[in-house]
Amino acid sequence: MPSVCIYFEVHQPVRLNRFSVFNIGRNIDPYSTYFNHELNHWIFEKVAKKCYLPTNKILLDLIKEYDGKFRISFSLTGTFIEYCERYIPSLIDSFKELFATGAVDLLEETYFHSLSSLYDDMDEFEEQVKMHNQMIKRIFNYQPKVFRNTEAIYDNRIAKKVSEMGYKGILTEGTEKILNWRSPNYVYKPVNCDIKVLLRNYNLSDDVGFRFSARNWPGYPLTADKYANWMASCQGDIINLFIDYETFGEHQWIETGIFDFLKHLPGETLKHGNLDFVTTSEAVNRYKPVGDIDVPWAISWADEDRDVSTWLGNNMQVACFNELKDIGRKLKESGKKDLLHTWRLLQTSDHLYYISTKGSQDGDVHAYFSPYDAPYEGFINYMNILQDLKQRAI
Amino acid sequence: MKVAMLGWEYPPFKAGGLGTHCYGLTRSLADKGVAVDFYMPKTKHSTASDRKNLVIKEVGETEIFPYDRPDDKAIGGQFFDAVYRYNDLLVQKVKGKYDVIHCHDWLTMKAGVALKEKTGAPLVITIHSTEYDRSGWLNPNQWFIDIEKEGMQKADKIIAVSQFTKRVIVENYGINPNKIEVVYNAVYPIGEGEKQNIVLFLGRLTIQKGPEFFLRAAKKVSEYEKNCKFVVAGAGDMLPRLVDQAVHMGISDKVVFTGALTDEEVKHIHRTASVYVMPSVSEPFGITALEAISAGTPTIMSKNAGASEAFRNCLRVDFWDIDEMANKIISLLRYTPLHTALADRGKKEIELFTWDRVADRTLDVYRGVT
Repeated sequence: MPSVCIYFEVHQPVRLNRFSVFNIGRNIDPYSTYFNHELNHWIFEKVAKKCYLPTNKILLDLIKEYDGKFRISFSLTGTFIEYCERYIPSLIDSFKELFATGAVDLLEETYFHSLSSLYDDMDEFEEQVKMHNQMIKRIFNYQPKVFRNTEAIYDNRIAKKVSEMGYKGILTEGTEKILNWRSPNYVYKPVNCDIKVLLRNYNLSDDVGFRFSARNWPGYPLTADKYANWMASCQGDIINLFIDYETFGEHQWIETGIFDFLKHLPGETLKHGNLDFVTTSEAVNRYKPVGDIDVPWAISWADEDRDVSTWLGNNMQVACFNELKDIGRKLKESGKKDLLHTWRLLQTSDHLYYISTKGSQDGDVHAYFSPYDAPYEGFINYMNILQDLKQRAI
Repeated sequence: MKVAMLGWEYPPFKAGGLGTHCYGLTRSLADKGVAVDFYMPKTKHSTASDRKNLVIKEVGETEIFPYDRPDDKAIGGQFFDAVYRYNDLLVQKVKGKYDVIHCHDWLTMKAGVALKEKTGAPLVITIHSTEYDRSGWLNPNQWFIDIEKEGMQKADKIIAVSQFTKRVIVENYGINPNKIEVVYNAVYPIGEGEKQNIVLFLGRLTIQKGPEFFLRAAKKVSEYEKNCKFVVAGAGDMLPRLVDQAVHMGISDKVVFTGALTDEEVKHIHRTASVYVMPSVSEPFGITALEAISAGTPTIMSKNAGASEAFRNCLRVDFWDIDEMANKIISLLRYTPLHTALADRGKKEIELFTWDRVADRTLDVYRGVT
């Protein structure tokens, strides 16, 4: 009897201001000059109205309607929570209400949705995870059991570190690169440590996240009963549907029928006697690993490549990434603690995502999310800010 | 198929992109088996064809510099006379059976219209720039506009070098958009050389091309990047003013004015420049940007340039935004990964911009009217 494990990533980056080379070294307050608070406020309000508030409401109603049999999980990034606290505190109450039903699990991740798991030392990664941990504790009084890294970035080293930090499970992409012929619908364990790995069923996840409104897709139009039938015919222990929360009402607009799909999904799924819903923690507790996975090179759920080339695929991105790491070393040496938060906001992976020069379909997706006209503009802006911060760090 | 093409410049004599376009187009058309007779004013230079079915036919005896603004009444008078004389000569000299008459810009339009009426062959005109572009949208001259409008109205099909230009033709000349095809320009790649710390402007020194914005950006850049030279290449009516401007701004030691360059010199400067800036106030296409990119030079172009709507791997600015232009120039000089990415990806993308493709699209237009 496969269990359906639905998990939503909830994240908003702190987007940057236009920052020219002439601003470098001017010594104006970095927090107010680096970040475009007006734009960020506007986008956050917009997405909250279109997605967060209505979707939370629907999920709460569904959990009540199905008496807790409909179960879901969230990871809320630190930058997202900061937005809520600043602009829409009632949104936090809404998540608290969801959590209080007992049908909702919360995951751990890096507070800043960063690439710190790819740094040479793991200390910054560990600090950011702890920050996230404290935030979840403060707001929800909860200790997450399962970890998910930024955009499901995963390799053996990360798995080992996360396992050492005491987490019982970790999420990543169910790509053939690590599974070969094996199914993602089971729990696995890493070759080098003891933690359970939940693998995203990317076909079924992307059916909702990417293809839902694609008219040239044979599955169109996707209805809840059709989708539930697909899930019911799956083999295995667990079907992991890991989806961007903004899919609901933002990436897929209300007109596509995405909310109706969501409203009918639990009922249609539970009609199948062989399906039930579990949270990520329950999935990890209930199922035993059926095999090992060995991941020496980092994978992720991003782009067709399913690796870290989304953020580190060209030399502009690598140059920024190296600057970022270098600034961190300098900041920690010089003990300028007041700049740490700013530096960490700059670590949010989205800033590197905007500099991707991938072509074709992935490129279109990048362009959709980017506040810049072109990756080159993104690079100039981000690099200028990094140069300014670097001067302050010494 | 046999085509009478009426032009006014052809390498080695050329003042702008029109000559480059005619050169690439006629040779590629000839390669596709089209017989092309290319008519142009007689020049001091010897112009020759290297294709069997492409014949260069020189008409008349005076060179015409169509991009110079005829401010002076006396010169202006001579200029207009010369234009009329050339058009009359064309009507007399173009003989024989042609499937298509093809004109480029206003200068040969009168002859094109007359020849269409005389021979009954369909008329195709390519618009490389309009009077609005050449005047930088300041005081456009009605005399040119009337000629352009008549030609556009009587043409069977119009080829515009960009969507930008198509829009001007529709909005300012009242032409039906269905009659206009957009065919982007192309380039014979120049190839990369040993790059030096040179920021390059290359184009006619006229209001249209925005050289004064380049100088103002150069001033700003020079305050931050001490080891950098600026080259203003090309000739034009604004040259004396620009030299003065550089002196006034105190950057005359940083700026080199080259005057008019030969083809070989143009290639050389493109090969050695590190950054190319095209700050045009109005730019229907901007072939020089493609030339720069084909020489591995990252290019900053005006947002309203036709080339910038067709080309992805370049930087874009508003021509009046000096600070942003300087920001991008400095970024290119400082950040090697940015420079390399634009140079490499630009060279790759430029492979799509071939004269062979231009000839194919032009042939489609011919076939549509014959």
